Amino acid sequence: MMTDIASQTFLRFCETVQEIAESRGSLKKTQLFANYLKSLNKADDIDRAIRFAGEGAFSSVSGKRASIGARTVALCAAEFCEINYDIVFKACRTATGSASETIEKLMNNIPVAKSRRSPSALSLAQVEQLYIELEKERKRDTKQHLLIKAWEQMTPLEIKYFIRVMGQGSLRIGFEAKSIVNAAAKAFDQDPEDVRYAHMITGSLGEAATLAYMNRLHTATFTLFQPVAFMLASPIESRAIEDITHYIAEEKFDGMRCQLHAGADKVTLYSRDLNEITHSFPEVVDFFTPKKLPGIVLDGELCVFSDNTIKPFQLLQKRMGVKKPSKKMLEEFPVVFISYDILFADDKPLFGKTLVERRDILQEICKQYGIMRSRQFEVTSNEQVEDMFERAIAHGNEGLMLKHKDSTYEYGQRRKSWLKVKKPSGSIDTVIMYAHAGSGKRGGTYSDFTLGVSVKGDDRYEEEFIPIGKAYGGYTDEELKRLNKEMKKLIVDRFGPTYSLKPGLVVELEFDDIQVNKRTKAGYTLRFPRFKAIRWDLSPSDADTLMDVERMYNQKLHEERKPQSQHQSFIGN
Amino acid sequence: MLTYKLERNHGIILPKEEIGLDVSGDVAKHVFVSHAHADHLPRDRFIHVYASPATARLMRARGFKGDITELDFGKPVEFDHARVTLYPAGHILGSAMIGVESDQGHTLYTGDYKTPPSPVTEGFDCPKQVDYFITEATFPLPIYKWRHHDELFEEMREFAHKSLEEGYTPVFLCYNLGKAQEVMHGLAPLGITQQIHGAGFELCNIYREFGYNLGSYEAYDRKSVNDNRILITPSSSLEQPMIRNLRKKRVAYVSGWATHESRRTQLTIDKLFPLSDHIDFFELIDLCEKLNPKMVYITHTPNPRVVTHYLEQKGISSQPLNMEGFDDD
Repeated sequence: MMTDIASQTFLRFCETVQEIAESRGSLKKTQLFANYLKSLNKADDIDRAIRFAGEGAFSSVSGKRASIGARTVALCAAEFCEINYDIVFKACRTATGSASETIEKLMNNIPVAKSRRSPSALSLAQVEQLYIELEKERKRDTKQHLLIKAWEQMTPLEIKYFIRVMGQGSLRIGFEAKSIVNAAAKAFDQDPEDVRYAHMITGSLGEAATLAYMNRLHTATFTLFQPVAFMLASPIESRAIEDITHYIAEEKFDGMRCQLHAGADKVTLYSRDLNEITHSFPEVVDFFTPKKLPGIVLDGELCVFSDNTIKPFQLLQKRMGVKKPSKKMLEEFPVVFISYDILFADDKPLFGKTLVERRDILQEICKQYGIMRSRQFEVTSNEQVEDMFERAIAHGNEGLMLKHKDSTYEYGQRRKSWLKVKKPSGSIDTVIMYAHAGSGKRGGTYSDFTLGVSVKGDDRYEEEFIPIGKAYGGYTDEELKRLNKEMKKLIVDRFGPTYSLKPGLVVELEFDDIQVNKRTKAGYTLRFPRFKAIRWDLSPSDADTLMDVERMYNQKLHEERKPQSQHQSFIGN
Repeated sequence: MLTYKLERNHGIILPKEEIGLDVSGDVAKHVFVSHAHADHLPRDRFIHVYASPATARLMRARGFKGDITELDFGKPVEFDHARVTLYPAGHILGSAMIGVESDQGHTLYTGDYKTPPSPVTEGFDCPKQVDYFITEATFPLPIYKWRHHDELFEEMREFAHKSLEEGYTPVFLCYNLGKAQEVMHGLAPLGITQQIHGAGFELCNIYREFGYNLGSYEAYDRKSVNDNRILITPSSSLEQPMIRNLRKKRVAYVSGWATHESRRTQLTIDKLFPLSDHIDFFELIDLCEKLNPKMVYITHTPNPRVVTHYLEQKGISSQPLNMEGFDDD
């Protein structure tokens, strides 16, 4: 095994990641990363490299963040390059569609930026230290200062990935957790299933890879108060079901997924991205703590529950992210935890047991300690599923979950094990504002669209239309062809692969939900927007307005929901 | 200020001088064509125009039937109200910038251009100083700064060589006139036969007539394309059987737009080569400074605001000249 000094540099990491971005096929990508991991040959560096590639500057379970906003980074870059932020930087970002890519190019091209940088081959450890300093610092000025100090020691490529890693998300190189796990297994000659399992129970890619490297995957053991990666559901539309009676049904609560760890004198809660959210929901903690539970982990849902009714997600949203909710908030929006799975009991992880077996254990514990749990329904036919679906909706739930009886608990999307049955929440007529060159099999055509609603005569805006969402699908190839043809007549501007269009094409847009989002121009975002129909028969003056969207949002919020007294979605209160 | 008239979706007319620049038809007494790309050619194919010798040759090959007076670079033609000189523009074979001297002063219209020039053009030259500079700005942002040809050619040869060695047919997606020949010129030293699709083949022969080395090439042939050949074809053919039926291939996209990472996934390709036949942002600003005009008019641009902003800082006045229709590069 080779160990050269350069292999621990951040630059080597970035070069590898860039090579992966430029390669096609997951096999090739995995091999490249495996070779790189092998060359590191040091547990600390393997941990860092894997974490940077798959999780971010900090491990997902650490709860730590560099916490520096996209705008701050962009402003900082504009200052570094001595360019005008509003005129120059924004235009460049629109053209590339990526702030980090824009910054990489500017750092490369602009003479003054070049002269300010003297790359010093920072090690992975040094870069980690930079992130730690950024995380500790609270003041924005000082954070900016730290950022500039960091960039002064980097190449443009390093700067691009330094920013992406800092974002704690995907590096956008077509290389996600599953491939990273495979690369670690390949690099250190381990069974990918073992690495995957270690990742699930430690919640940390870095730790799983380090254990793989040290040949100690068997020591990866589940410990209470350390979150486990969640099992996810696939939309039922995408799957063919052989025999629906192999599934059980549960109502899909209009809440937030949550993992609850409870021991003798401690209760912790984790969100789907494995962040600890215990302090946001003290009433849940107060409910569980006195029960003195014998060490269990539950998977379930947090919901606002009052008047014997499950309340809309929008109300729960008011509680999310609030570290210390006020007494008034606790009274107005009381939250409960409804369990539907159990992952640990009796000092043993239960992941390998089937759903039916886990359910039996869950039932027993819930009964004994008085814990709310979802109701399960046997499935006999498709028609019955439809009836159950309608009933769930009437009670304010999102739809149904179908879970395969023999399925074990595995993180990520496990094909047909869990399926969600949902109904689109609504649709609006929108105009196409921008067309973006498509990707993958739709390359060469303009297949991604930014859609807008009308704000004509709306005092809050000067424009006639503002964006409400982006959609990528829901049309046929024929429709897309026609759309591309019609679009050509409406082009007013081009920014690289993006066309700005005059309002002229109307699309009926379907979506799952409307959410408040203060960071957008409209103040709202749509969840999963997609084309329902291209309305050739309508003109832009027929488009729905932002006020229509607001009305729909409020309607949903105040929609009548049947109480639990008429039909129980869950048991135990 | 320069007195000019815009022709909708097409060229510019200088009415006092009775000159039309890349106009669509018989709309001025003297019509000049900067180069043979479709969006700069007259739509009326039977008028009389002035053009460089190579442009004249390419125009005829592309179906122009009118009368062409060939003008050599640097040799002015005199009219009642103006003296007009063509300067080599470095964009494609025959491409010219058009200099007009008149009572209004010295006006330079660039058409499409590039400096440093593409190696398969007559080079680049321009007057020392002008009063009015009408320039294209296809790449008007500081994210666009081209690397040197030789560097990119080297990488292209490596890409082609490696692909062939591993049993794949290298495919270069590039515009039929200009970019294709530039790429072929760059790949020529490999000594491998290049196949070029349909119309491109005829255009290559014209380049050869004018003395440019494109290496060994032949027209696309479905049967032999797998047989140690390099395929040159426009990106519009990506979804066509020609490329789709090639099972073992590595695809490179050659364009100024290859600067954008997003092109990689949008086109599903293996390699991006940001080789452009347009001037980049930095050269553009430098040239404006050198020519020190009273006014810069910006055309053929997705967005002129950034250029205007930089020129302002250099004390040069500029304004967008609103014309529609962009080059596809």
